[in-house]
Amino acid sequence: MTPPLYIALRFLRHRRRSFILSLSGVVFGVAIFICTQAQTQGFAQNFIDSTLGSNGALLLRSRFQSATTGLLVPPKNVRNPNQPRRHSIDGITNASEIMRISRQFADVAACSAVLRGTVSARAGFDNATVDLFGIDAVSHLQTTNLAQQITSGDLDDFRNNPNAVIIGSRLAEAMQVVPGDAVQLLSPGGEYRRFTIAATARSGVGVVDSVRVYCHVRVAQTLLRKPFPASMIVYKLRDPERAPAVARAFEDLFQHDAQSWQDREEANLQLFVTVRVSAAITVSLIILLAGFGIFNVLTMSVLSKIKEIAILRSMGYRARDISAIFLWQGAMIAAAGSVIGCLAGAAFTWGVSKIPIQVRGLLYANHFLVTWDWHHYLWATVLAIVAVFIASYVPARRAAQLAPVATLRGSSA
Amino acid sequence: MLMNAEVSLSCEGIERFLGEDDSRVHALRGVSLQLERGTVHAVVGPSGCGKSTLLYILGLLDHADSGWVTIENEAVSHLVDDALARKRNELLGFIFQFHFLLEDFTAQENVMIPMRRLAVLSEEQMLERSAHLLDAVGLGSKLKRPSRHLSGGEQQRVAVARALANNPSVILADEPTGNLDSANSRRAFELLQRIVQEERKALLLVTHNPEIAEACDWIHEMQDGRIVESHSRGHRISVRAGA
Repeated sequence: MTPPLYIALRFLRHRRRSFILSLSGVVFGVAIFICTQAQTQGFAQNFIDSTLGSNGALLLRSRFQSATTGLLVPPKNVRNPNQPRRHSIDGITNASEIMRISRQFADVAACSAVLRGTVSARAGFDNATVDLFGIDAVSHLQTTNLAQQITSGDLDDFRNNPNAVIIGSRLAEAMQVVPGDAVQLLSPGGEYRRFTIAATARSGVGVVDSVRVYCHVRVAQTLLRKPFPASMIVYKLRDPERAPAVARAFEDLFQHDAQSWQDREEANLQLFVTVRVSAAITVSLIILLAGFGIFNVLTMSVLSKIKEIAILRSMGYRARDISAIFLWQGAMIAAAGSVIGCLAGAAFTWGVSKIPIQVRGLLYANHFLVTWDWHHYLWATVLAIVAVFIASYVPARRAAQLAPVATLRGSSA
Repeated sequence: MLMNAEVSLSCEGIERFLGEDDSRVHALRGVSLQLERGTVHAVVGPSGCGKSTLLYILGLLDHADSGWVTIENEAVSHLVDDALARKRNELLGFIFQFHFLLEDFTAQENVMIPMRRLAVLSEEQMLERSAHLLDAVGLGSKLKRPSRHLSGGEQQRVAVARALANNPSVILADEPTGNLDSANSRRAFELLQRIVQEERKALLLVTHNPEIAEACDWIHEMQDGRIVESHSRGHRISVRAGA
């Protein structure tokens, strides 16, 4: 143990009240930082998981068609004549071939063609406009979390019955239907077709659960009277974060509009980021206040130890040894505060995750959602160490600059 | 001035100005001095004559505006702060009027503080040496007692033991008995005197106590920043300022 560390430990032991005061500031700041980050990211992560589980990481939709194809002279309002203006045509051309090629990409874990359309649904006296997803059960279950989203009913009843549907949980509540009930879907031609509800599904995303109905793709093609069997392809990626890059590659390769989940959910994600940053700023201010507290405590400590500093200097301690004594004190406050703060933060986070809360909007949750991410603990610790170092540096420097003679002369005859 | 060849500490032509502008004081005016091993030197004089200023310059805690200081035949005036600190730690021992112990530390921990900085002995060796030193000053039974719980005389003896911790060549004492009653003063001085003679160290002490001054090997009288007279015990030899 170095002499400054030994002396710092002894000084701290004999100034317990100040030490505990400084320590509690750091503990509180670190713990609150971890807890707020766990909450805000918990809701965001739940939303991301839910949206990836329902709509995939990537959607390939309408086919591009150049708006200037066949014109000898480009239109005057085209900004870059070399880059053709593009229109999109609804539907996927040759979906099975695109999926075959897509599966050869290392990024692609699974993909599924979906025929999508809007129809009216009727059950008893209740009517609703629904988002119909015509799916191939096998590939769609591989691509999404639909199997895990089933809350009631049986997936096999859907698989084995061409006239069965899976209905969103909130839609089922709104139309007061349960698995086994019948629901009628109105085709664009104006005729109703009767389906049996095989299961209800809850994705956790409000806009999905309140409007979505899954049926078999051939039934959907008949009902929607579409000339093509797929209006989009849903992709599951091994690394969802790579979705924007894969989307760009697919657009170039397949000449279809591709949209990553980050683009698709930009507004919601922005909201979560804003809340998270706001919470981080608030908690950082708490840690900053703790830093001011430590600054005051260490400054007072330096002032109360002027005599001791002069004695140590007279006995051969260097200016940097004196500085190190106070920096060690700060380091011990930061280390102990970070460790206890991380433990307290984990405990707070666990406690918060048990608080019941009814969220039935953008998300579905019955209690606070939290994430357990070691990055939160790392950032809280780094923030605490930086704040405490800055708070300790000035008093430590001041202590090192104290001239021992002034103190010794002032105390002697 | 008659001195033997074994000089532990010497200074020559020390000048020191204190304060600035209108309040500037010429505190030391060409002071020269030599301390030999095994001798006790007293510096006496009225308050403000420059005794403590000289002591702090010789103790490398303050710098001279001109002149030089030599310890163990090595000029030290030009050294940087870290090197001066090392010299203080290795070669000098300080004793102050108000003993200046670290109150929260035990007697033994106080004695071990200079040893920790020197970093030559192991923890066990430091404990052993500090216990031996405290035993030598009559505090062998109070090693673990917090220094604030010791009497004034005991605290001063701890300060003596601490000054000897790193076996210094020179001990500098600023009124070491100034805060003690006469019995304790005499006991503390005799202790220092015995250590200096037995261990061949040099001791320079600033004192107002004529009894203690008379018991020293050399007495240097200061006035207005000069040593106006130096004499050994029983002899009087006047010395001109700057001589």
